[in-house]
Amino acid sequence: MDNIQQNKDSTNRSDLVSEEGKNRKSVLCQRCGSKVLCPGMAAFAEKELFLPSMRKKSSLSTTEGTVDGDTLTSHWLVDDMYTFENVGFTNDVGRIKYLICADCEIGPIGWHCLDDKKSFYVALERVNHA
Amino acid sequence: MAKTYDYLLKLLLIGDSGVGKTCLLFRFSEDAFNTTFISTIGIDFKIRTIELDGKKIKLQIWDTAGQERFRTITTAYYRGAMGIMLVYDITNEKSFDNIRNWIRNIEEHASSDVERMVLGNKCDINDKRQVSKERGEKLAIDYGIKFLETSAKSSINVEEAFYTLARDIMSRLNRKMNDSAPSGGGGPVKITESRSKKSFFRCALL
Repeated sequence: MDNIQQNKDSTNRSDLVSEEGKNRKSVLCQRCGSKVLCPGMAAFAEKELFLPSMRKKSSLSTTEGTVDGDTLTSHWLVDDMYTFENVGFTNDVGRIKYLICADCEIGPIGWHCLDDKKSFYVALERVNHA
Repeated sequence: MAKTYDYLLKLLLIGDSGVGKTCLLFRFSEDAFNTTFISTIGIDFKIRTIELDGKKIKLQIWDTAGQERFRTITTAYYRGAMGIMLVYDITNEKSFDNIRNWIRNIEEHASSDVERMVLGNKCDINDKRQVSKERGEKLAIDYGIKFLETSAKSSINVEEAFYTLARDIMSRLNRKMNDSAPSGGGGPVKITESRSKKSFFRCALL
């Protein structure tokens, strides 16, 4: 990928991203450890994406009509959904499908736009690496 | 990117609402997290990877949750399905009776060579059982379909069910390959790494 970053501020990035810009480690669900991606299967990519919060209702303090969430920029990108070991896809929200853990259904952990059939993003901050 | 799997199988879960179809998709049934956001928008499908006989198999699984009336499930829904899990709840007589309706629905709308399997779910709740295992078995024999009692909650037979259905679909695909092979070479067709697996499946589907 052309947007491999080697920022000085992201000290542990080289632990996660190989020289070829791929994921060095397995990508796992933060909650149940379900395997989402095998090592070397995804490319590091930077893109600003808004992902709704992964917290439960009780801990959310939403004002009506707004969705609580984060804008995240560091992602694992794959071009074919069957590259995933285990993953779930939500129903469409506009042109977007969100990615979730296939086993415990926590999410969204990632993002897919129906207008780009070859791009599936998983946010680094929303998964574990091992 | 090179394909990292040998087979891609498209499966559907069918049955009355409340029989626990969705739970069959969890590895940890009690552990579903369901954030507010996810439970509001709902889940379309899941991709799971299993290994069977040394082959890496991708399962793409749809759950009919929320649209469980036969009339609403027609040809479009079944398109591309290679295997169907028919699920009833052993503590719910009506859900068992409806399996025959679901089978009729599949016969009307799904591809004629789709692999089917009947699951009697919730077999951990024996004290509330309304449908004996024998009746489940008999129904399956009547239609020539495989049968298992499962418990998503206690993880009984859930993996076995998916492995069995996957194996049956693979056997059918391999039979088809053999039938369409130009010469009469008997043995199973070896799928080599160089062959495009994706197009292989498309051929098998159409």
